[in-house]
Order: sequence, then structure tokens, then C-alpha cells
Amino acid sequence: MNPVRGITLRGIEAVGVEVEVEITGGLFSISIVGLPDAAVRESKERVRAALRSLGLAVRGRVAVNLAPADLPKEGAVLDLPIALGIASAMGSLPELPRGIFLGELALDGRLRGVRGAVGAAILARNESVPLFAPAENAAEIALVKGCEAYAVDNLADLFAFFRGEIELPPVPEYRLEENPFFADPDFADIRGQAGARRALEIAAAGHHNILLIGSPGSGKTLLARALRGILPPLSHEELLETTLIRSTLGLPFEDGGRPPFRSVHHTASTVSICGGGSALRPGEVSLAHRGVLFLDEFPEFRRDLLEGLRQPLEDGEINVSRATGSVKYPCRVLLVVAANPCQCGWDGDPVERCICSSVERERYRRKISGPILDRIDLHVAVPRLLPEELVAVEGAGGESSSIVAERVRFARRIQRERWARHGFSCNAELPERVVKRFLNLSEGVRPFLSSMAGKLRLSGRGIGRVLKVARTIADLSRNEQTDVPHVAEALAYRDGGLWR
Amino acid sequence: MTAKHLLTGKYGEDLALDYLKELGWTILERNVAFAGGELDIVARERNELVVVEVRTRSEGWMQSGEDSVGPRKLRRLVRTGRKYVDSRRWDGPWRIDILSVTLRRDGQPGIERFEDVTAGGDFS
Repeated sequence: MNPVRGITLRGIEAVGVEVEVEITGGLFSISIVGLPDAAVRESKERVRAALRSLGLAVRGRVAVNLAPADLPKEGAVLDLPIALGIASAMGSLPELPRGIFLGELALDGRLRGVRGAVGAAILARNESVPLFAPAENAAEIALVKGCEAYAVDNLADLFAFFRGEIELPPVPEYRLEENPFFADPDFADIRGQAGARRALEIAAAGHHNILLIGSPGSGKTLLARALRGILPPLSHEELLETTLIRSTLGLPFEDGGRPPFRSVHHTASTVSICGGGSALRPGEVSLAHRGVLFLDEFPEFRRDLLEGLRQPLEDGEINVSRATGSVKYPCRVLLVVAANPCQCGWDGDPVERCICSSVERERYRRKISGPILDRIDLHVAVPRLLPEELVAVEGAGGESSSIVAERVRFARRIQRERWARHGFSCNAELPERVVKRFLNLSEGVRPFLSSMAGKLRLSGRGIGRVLKVARTIADLSRNEQTDVPHVAEALAYRDGGLWR
Repeated sequence: MTAKHLLTGKYGEDLALDYLKELGWTILERNVAFAGGELDIVARERNELVVVEVRTRSEGWMQSGEDSVGPRKLRRLVRTGRKYVDSRRWDGPWRIDILSVTLRRDGQPGIERFEDVTAGGDFS
């Protein structure tokens, strides 16, 4: 009896599971041992029905052992290896080929798509064994280069393949097609707001966090959504990273290399954002990896949640620890935060009067802690356009998203080439220790910065972040050197607008 | 003098026996009695031992034969079946089938077989 290989998920990583089956005499029963969860335990009904659809009647007492015994097994992904193990123990199959098998079985023997197929493909590649996976998962598996994978439609096909009657279609290698994506809303649709546009362009180019402050109706949300249209497309590796996380949750594969954009409501729970649960699932912050995490109405978010995001935002990864174990998820996000200037929303408005008392205003601002603000590089005021201004700029649309996206993409390419040997892909990723040595600062920057840092009460981290933004601005204007005007512009985004 | 319904039952079992022989099964024993229950027919289909519970009904009866086997009867069958395989030292797979015999007025009996009625359920 040789064991059949399957997988179970631990975080985003797929761990190999060996399925051993023994059949003895007695009244029919299936018992599964090896810490199965409810979905695995229920697989016996699916497996039995699927085998019966092939004319295989399972008899006797069936014992299924899932090794390693102390690793909890979850999900329906083990249906297929269990079915193969039983069929093999019944003597209805020739010697099974080496390989990793995954799939959820339908009662009629069809194979359904599963969570964690990408992780399984990575495991199969590292062990250089073939992978047999449901056809539904073929598109995402194709992302893993160098993995020998076969798409399986149903159990009958797989059995026919084992008997040498048919060939299974191999999963072709994925080719990233750079199709320009449709920007909605387009930058050309946004009236006015030249300052905010510029800031968004910088944010997209260097992957810097951004805070938009403005009165109700000033267009904060619209601007945030427009950001998606100017972000550079994901590279193959980045697409693999984001797909790996999505696959862990069973979300469908998104083709085209468009960076994720996750908009989170302020009632969301800490677990849904940071990740967790007994199964240690990734949260929104990881789903937004390599893309945008948008928090609208920022001060309404619970404080402990925001503080919990501090370290992950800095490190680009989040450690989810529970009693059942601990896993690490990547979360290199571009944080976009929108907020009203005060409780009533009209502080600083040219027409409407703010009715907040100074105590209320104080309380509102205190909801957002200094440490969080310190991690947001670009603070932008989004003033409301007055009705007459709106009419005046009617039709005078700015640049379209495609033009801005082209500049952003160029700036990002420069960054990739510059940081390739350090292992980074954009300016915002640089750790503090690297910043000053490699930013190629001009003569005048140091004295200028030291005079300004005192005035603006910048922290050590603040200075590093200003320099990174300055570098991005220089990249956008195609300058080799980071010069005083670049730093000056970066500092201008730093002073918090209304909030300092 | 035997009661009429017992005669009907006996007749049904005879019909069932012929039916199973026609299927090519080997009949091992009939009416094996244990304390706590009786097995109507024990047969062998290839390498598997089958405990057959025969239910006979005359046409027009409200409840069909197969429906008259409830969870309690099923548990009893499993228990008695275990006693049987233990006593005969059978260590291969075995199962329980229900054979529902309907006696029609035109003389042609209807026979329906329900295979493996325990289906992996918990009868411990």
C-alpha cells in the first residue's frame, strides 16, 4: 500500500499530507484520523458517492490516516487523494504515479476548484513532482513557473489516465499580457484638485501612503478610486504573490496584472482586516498586498485596529498568531486614508461655517494618533470647489489617467532598476538604514533639511520618509540627483495641511 | 394452524430465495435465530456476505415493505448481523440488504432490492 499525497494549508503555505488507507472486513464504514476538520470528515460522503459514480462500491471497514498526525487538516482539498487511496486499496487502480493530488469531489465525480492551489503548485515545483489539480484552478497554477501540472475535469478522466487510456491536458505556462486597463473614474473626469492629483501621482509612483483631508463632497473618495487607474501593473512575481493570498481564501484568479484595490468600511472587525480566526486566514491588509488599501472616514475606525496596523505597514508583513499557531502574511500596501477635517466637516471651508467647539475639534483629531500620521508620507488637503469654480472648470479636464500612468510606470521602472540588487521594487519599500546612503542627495539638501526638520518637528523616521518621497519626485522628473526642490515639495506634503 | 400473516411472510421469503438464486448468489443460511433477533436469509455475493431482510406485503397495503424497516429495526439487524459474522468467523466485508416483496392479486410478485441500507451510518 503506497500513500497518496495531498496538501493542507498552513497560512499561505501548502504542507504535504500523506493519505494512507486500509480496508478490512466488516460492515461498511469510513473513519478518518489525523486531526481532520469538519470539511475533511464530511469528505467520506462525497468520496463514496464519487466512487460509486464510477461503478466502484466501497465495502468493508475503511480506515483513512492523514499524516503527519499532529498537523490539523482543513478543507475539501483532500477529497481527491482520499478517493484515490480508497480506490487503490480496493485494488481498482494500477500503481499510482508520483505526484500531488488536490480537488474537491462532486457527488457525480466532477472535480471542483479548491483553496490553496497556488501554494500546492509551489510545493510540487519545489519537490519536482507533478501536480494534478482541478481544471478550475488551472489559470492560477499556470503562474508558478517550472511546475509540471495537469488539469483534471473529473475522477473518471484521472482513472483513465492511470490506466494509460488518455492523456491529461498539461497546464500551460502563464504569459503576462499587459493590456492597458480601463480607468474608472478617469483623472480627466476630476475637476480641479491639481494638488491632490499631483500627490496621487507621487503616491502611485513610489508606493507612498497618502492621507486626503477635505470637506464632505470635495471628492476624496473619487480621487482615491482614480488612483487605481494610474498604478503600474503588477509584475509576474507580484501577481503570483497576490494570487497566492487570494487562492488561500478561495477568491477567483484576477488576470491582467491589475493591482488590488481593497476598500474597507470602518465597521470591519480587526480579524477581517489584519487576518486571523482559528484557520489563520489572511485579512484585507494582505489582500491589498502590492495594491491599495483604502480606509474611508478614517477617524471612525476603532483605534486599536489602526494601532494594530502600524507595525505591519512599516514591515510589509503581518504576523497572525493564535492558539492554533502563527503565520506570516505579506502586506506591502499603499495606504490611502480619507478624512473630514473635523466632526461637522466644514473646518477650513471657504463658505460653510464649522460649528465644532475647540474641544470637539481636539477630540476628533486625537482619534488619529501621531504614530499613524507619521507613517503617512503625503498629507493632502482636498478643498471643496465652490459652485462657481466648478462651473468655471467645466470641460477643462486635466490629463487623462493613461498619460499619468505612463509617467508613473516610467518612474517605477527607474526604481526597479535602481533597487534590483538590493531586492526592493519601489522607493517606499526601502528600510531606513539604506535611505541616506543610496538616495544620491545633492549638496544643498542636508543643510536645507536640517533647518526645516526643526521647524516642522520631524521625527527620525519622518526625515527618512521625506527623503524617500523626494526621491520619488526626482524619479518622476527624471532627475538622477535628489535636489532641494524635490525635498521641499516632499516637505510640503508632510506638514499635515490642516492637521498640525 | 398458523396465522395468515405468518404464511404470507414465509411465502415471501421463498420468493426472495428464488430471486437471489437467480442473481447468482450463494444462499448460506435461512432463518438464523439469535437472542435478540433473527436473520431471514444470509447469502454471499462474490466475496461479500449479505444479510437479507425480507419484507412481504400484499398489494394495497398502506406502507410499502421497505418503509417498514425503521432505525430501530436497522440497529437490531446490525447487532444480530455482527453476532452472526462473529459466530461464523467471517472476516470479510458484509452488508445488509432489504428485499421488498409485494404480492399482487394477479399472481406476479414484485420484488425490489435495496442494497447496503446502513450506508456507513453510525450503529455502534
